[in-house]
Amino acid sequence: MDLKKIIVDASEDRIEDFRSKNQSQIETFILDLWKEYQQNSDPVEIDQGPVIDLADDGDDRQCGEYQPNDPENPDEPGSPDEINVNETEMQKQGASERPPYDAIDLQIKSRHIALPNGKVNQNYDIHFDIEKIIPEISGIRFEGLDQAGLQFVPETKKITGIPQAAGDYKIKMYCRRHDWEEGKPTIEREITLIINPDPRSLWVDLPTPEDIEYYKPDCNREFIKVEASETVARKDMVAASKRGRSHAHEGKPRDDDFMLHFDDGSGWYVMAVADGAGSARYSREGSRIACRTAVDTCITEIKNRGETFEKQIRTFSNVRSEENRKQAGDTLYHIIGTAAFKSHKDIEKEAVDKGNPIKDYATTLILSICKKFDFGWFVGAFWVGDGGIGIYAKEPPFLKVLGEADGGEFAGQTRFLTMTEIVQPMELYRRLRFDIVDDFTALILMTDGVTDPKFETDANLNRIEKWHDFWNNLSQEVDFSDDHENSAEQLLKWLDFWSPGNHDDRTIAILF
Amino acid sequence: MRGEPIEAIKVGLESMIASLRQDPFALESVYMSIITFNLHPKQLLHLTELENMQIPEIQQPEAGGTHFGEALEFLCKRVDSEIHLSTPEQKGDWMPLLFIMADGRASDTQLFHQAVPEIKRRHFGSIIACSVGTKTCVENLKQIANHVVSLDTADSATFKQFFKWVSASVSVGNRSIGASDEVLLPPPPAEVHTVI
Repeated sequence: MDLKKIIVDASEDRIEDFRSKNQSQIETFILDLWKEYQQNSDPVEIDQGPVIDLADDGDDRQCGEYQPNDPENPDEPGSPDEINVNETEMQKQGASERPPYDAIDLQIKSRHIALPNGKVNQNYDIHFDIEKIIPEISGIRFEGLDQAGLQFVPETKKITGIPQAAGDYKIKMYCRRHDWEEGKPTIEREITLIINPDPRSLWVDLPTPEDIEYYKPDCNREFIKVEASETVARKDMVAASKRGRSHAHEGKPRDDDFMLHFDDGSGWYVMAVADGAGSARYSREGSRIACRTAVDTCITEIKNRGETFEKQIRTFSNVRSEENRKQAGDTLYHIIGTAAFKSHKDIEKEAVDKGNPIKDYATTLILSICKKFDFGWFVGAFWVGDGGIGIYAKEPPFLKVLGEADGGEFAGQTRFLTMTEIVQPMELYRRLRFDIVDDFTALILMTDGVTDPKFETDANLNRIEKWHDFWNNLSQEVDFSDDHENSAEQLLKWLDFWSPGNHDDRTIAILF
Repeated sequence: MRGEPIEAIKVGLESMIASLRQDPFALESVYMSIITFNLHPKQLLHLTELENMQIPEIQQPEAGGTHFGEALEFLCKRVDSEIHLSTPEQKGDWMPLLFIMADGRASDTQLFHQAVPEIKRRHFGSIIACSVGTKTCVENLKQIANHVVSLDTADSATFKQFFKWVSASVSVGNRSIGASDEVLLPPPPAEVHTVI
């Protein structure tokens, strides 16, 4: 329907009638016209970045004074679009025809002038040359920069200094025209300068109230000394767990946990770390139950099946056939698969007893059992969730990551032991890994509080160079010599490292 | 939206940014983008880290007409190009949160209906819609948002409360969650009425 034609053809007394009948079509028609007009007259301009943007000629009209008086009538003189046109024309005319005084005043006030944000105790150094963009002016000076601990040096046209206090500073910029004479006004423009606080200074460390349900200390560490047997040194275990700054800031408990066990009789090492979901109410208890039940079950299962299992491992070590691998793998499934399954069941039982959904106890779990044989080390593992576990040797370089991290599209998304689909037999089996290696520097289990800042991506977790860096960094702070009991304390201290944006609970367990 | 409500939003936004700046975790992890819409959507602020952020001038609309659908379509494009998803080689962003403030009704009905499933496909951690005043089409908001709240009086004090809640919600956004879960929000303040 050609609405334009119909409107023109309609006799006057019918117009009102027509209008009421076709209200919505008329509106759409007018809107379309307006849209067309807008598209033709208003250049699409979305860039209004936080950087100093003096050259921007767009519609970044920062000053309220030049708003149209009546927003209902955008065609009235004084609408922002018209000002923009004037401004452009004015610039085209250049210096040959000096624009009137107030036009320059207007230019300065209507431009998007912004100073980049600064940060407390961090050097601020920016080049500020507005005269290059508006050549008609000179004699720039500022008022209020000193409050922020900064100064403007006219010779170098730089604003420099080290801000001492955070805040939004209202800075006044003054300038004048080249032909300024005594008695004529100077041009004034207010600019906001934001100085951010140093995030490190903002963290507070509130202890977790001890009367909450499922209270857990804010940190924990443990060293399990395995003394030399027949003068042959044996590997020790060390672990530490520390509440993240994001939790400490709010007085919230640590959601991570770990558990270590060495069975002196059989020579088996059992280690577990778990990361309770930040979004789940009682995940601290979920991670605690997961570690405890998993380790306990492993101990029991090893007692029952240890003899058969060790024979299968020995057979596989001699002949690394698929069949032998399958047999050892099946027994491993009965040990750590059962351990993972029972952990899930125990968490579920706790949830049911307390009348809470199991989701409230969501936790990840990384579990490992190892033993030294005369032909090398057997290492078996089960992994659900994020974080990581790897066998690392510095010399000769060797790395084996025992599984894959569960991630989603976004950061923080993962899978949990508490999900029903995870404890299906096929799924449990799929998450098992084992290997026999000659020797290693360290077997390391860690939650994402450590892997996120230290490895960043899943791909990096499989890169030995990253592990070299990681181990170097770690062994600078922690003395990993045999039977060194103080390593637990050192490891806990190391966990306090700074990494921007990474303030989750951190837990690490090492066999070395 | 014009007049008092939009002024109140500006004030609210400013106080929200100021309070987020006092949160050390937010200061290191929050990014924000602002899109306004009337006849056309316009991105006033690209996804920018809090540390470098300066609130742009929010313009009064120049004409009536609420092209909500077009705005949502535009938003999806911005999300696709500005939000990083996890890959083996790249750490993904935290799930984005979407806050919509509206006081009218979508005039581009068809486009709006097409945009709804597109928005759902983007997996926002949570979508919170805020109806301002009494003329909002709440049905529109209900179709896209997980939470619809209504502010009857659009004054600065009410908005401050609302934005306080928004900042608290932003702060809980970066927590580990199940792969298919929605972000759990803190309860809204008394001034804000939950519609659903």
